[in-house]
Amino acid sequence: MADLEIRNLHVRIEEREILRGVDLTVERGEVHALMGPNGSGKSTLANTLLGHPTYEVTEGSILFKGEDITRAEPHERARAGLFLAFQYPVSIPGVSVANFLRMAINAKREQPINVKEFRTQLQHAIELLDVDRSFTSRHLNDGFSGGEKKRAEILQMAMLQPDVAILDETDSGLDIDALRTVAEGVERLHTEQGLGALIITHYQRILHYIKPQFVHIMLDGRIVLEGGVELVERLEREGYDEIRREFGGVSV
Amino acid sequence: MSEVAVKPGRHREATLYHALHGAGAGDGRTLEQLREAALAVYESTPLPVWRRSGFWTTSFDELDLDALQVRHHAPGEALPEVVRETIPDRARAGRVVQVDGSIVHVELNPELAARGVVFCTLEEAAREHTEVFTQWYSKRLTCERHKLEAANAALWTGGAFLHVPAGLVVEDPFEVVYAIGSPGVAQYGRTLIVGERTSDFRVHEYDLAGDFEGQALHAGAFELYLQDGARCRLAQVQDWGTGEVFDASTRFVGVGRDAYCHWLPALLGGHLVRQHLELAVSEPGGDMAFRGVFFAEEHELLDVFAVDLHETGPSGGDVHWRGAATGASRASFEGLIQIDPGAQQTHTYLQIHTMALSPKTRLDAIPSVLVSADDVSASHGGTVGELDEDAIFYMQSRGLDRTSAVRVIVEGFFEPLVSELKDEPLEELVRGKIAAKLARAREDIEAYAASR
Repeated sequence: MADLEIRNLHVRIEEREILRGVDLTVERGEVHALMGPNGSGKSTLANTLLGHPTYEVTEGSILFKGEDITRAEPHERARAGLFLAFQYPVSIPGVSVANFLRMAINAKREQPINVKEFRTQLQHAIELLDVDRSFTSRHLNDGFSGGEKKRAEILQMAMLQPDVAILDETDSGLDIDALRTVAEGVERLHTEQGLGALIITHYQRILHYIKPQFVHIMLDGRIVLEGGVELVERLEREGYDEIRREFGGVSV
Repeated sequence: MSEVAVKPGRHREATLYHALHGAGAGDGRTLEQLREAALAVYESTPLPVWRRSGFWTTSFDELDLDALQVRHHAPGEALPEVVRETIPDRARAGRVVQVDGSIVHVELNPELAARGVVFCTLEEAAREHTEVFTQWYSKRLTCERHKLEAANAALWTGGAFLHVPAGLVVEDPFEVVYAIGSPGVAQYGRTLIVGERTSDFRVHEYDLAGDFEGQALHAGAFELYLQDGARCRLAQVQDWGTGEVFDASTRFVGVGRDAYCHWLPALLGGHLVRQHLELAVSEPGGDMAFRGVFFAEEHELLDVFAVDLHETGPSGGDVHWRGAATGASRASFEGLIQIDPGAQQTHTYLQIHTMALSPKTRLDAIPSVLVSADDVSASHGGTVGELDEDAIFYMQSRGLDRTSAVRVIVEGFFEPLVSELKDEPLEELVRGKIAAKLARAREDIEAYAASR
């Protein structure tokens, strides 16, 4: 039984079909990279996996730990152990990072987390992400720089301890230092907690810090090529155009 | 009085929506004379109607005033349940509780009494503390703009009086409570507070009624005067429950030389509420933060007219209000910045943020600026918000269900002001009331979201 299994997924927004039959499986402890040019459907897949109401699944299914979650509410998917690090995290004014984290953790639990345990976990996550202590008393993403937002996403991931995380363009807009910190954070969660990760990216550079075992190339709403890390090197040499010439016969 | 007042065309409402602007009734007449003059107005005028530009009407026509009576209680009578359950049990400097027409409870920390603090009924102040009373009573409040204001000036009973002597710093709050215990009551509550030179204190007012069926009226008058260098944090929590409680109140805060007031009314319920709230910087160096939150639900109507008045400069002002509405409620906030001639070097800013949580609700936010000095800065801003579906999805993706996510957004919307109360028990009370309103409106809010 796979942890995350995507079967023949078709998704449309309004009248436009974006995903046209995606199959993908992610197990705990595995790192997958999903690569593709802008507009190929990567972010649509990420949002659909968490159940964003704008995206309509017209065919196929999503299974998580054996359960069909295709129609589940977003919060049910989260509580089951799925996580999405957003490409563009929204700001939540008036709610501190720490308070939000406590709410999110308690949403999964029967009994609220005790204060000491929460503090210990938070301290651990703060060190992991190399953020200032005061960071957690700021309002979530409100007035955060791009880098701070991405760190806040990974901080939440570290605290919520999902089984499988989807990282949607977490590398975009980060300078090299922030990228390294964020990538190291993901790497540690992967090795220490057995996190399964689906890293969605347009570029190759984050994959210099986190080595994926599996690489999937998406074009026009389909995964057209799969392999190991050698695919990343091929992309670096040839770019998407070569792959599109080979596989993109149905270009839109 | 200066000439500025209101010129037709400069301000959208030339008759009723304007600042009191120093038109105090207390001009040397005795209390009896003032009551008599007010009574004549009360008896000869109809129930008030406020109209603004033809698009907004606040009318007290549906109030059956003749059926109401001023009901009296014996001192020491048990406090109504709503008072016992609402007001946080915490350290306080003192407490005056009026139920319907009578003060039933007066307490003051004996140490403060020994240091010269007077905290008693306004009736007692009129008899026993005549010097301060005569100097300040109705100094800046009018008694004849409309029938209900006149009713208060003519018929008030009980009332609260607080006098804080010069230089005294009091950490715990003085509590003033106006409670309506049952339907059929007309309550004419009146508060007078004077903070002498460099005094520093807190006042918490509670306006409460239980959930009863039937009409009741609170026509209130409130005045607070801060002398040179005095500081006051004034908070008001109003929740008249689900009964048909009408409230027409006028509140004035005067800030003296180098004095400061942080004023935060939390208007959290009432069938029909009209509040005239005026904060005036009257002497150079005065500064103020005028905050407010409101939340209208079901079929309530709330009409707030808030004035940020600068009579002299240099002075500072900072007005920041936030309001939400659910159900078929209507809420109007009009904020007026008025800078008088000669009030140079005044710097003030007004912002009003609203959030409509139902398709049937109506929320108006209208800032106005009336400036009669040239070396000043006065501006306004604001936002009109709705629930952000992306923010809801974001929180759902972290495990919060939709209802919790909405609650977090709305509480977060109010939080910048609630946390400014800087008083944990009061903050918790306001947060709790907001959460309860959201819980009641849950289906309404979800239907609205689904329809968009």
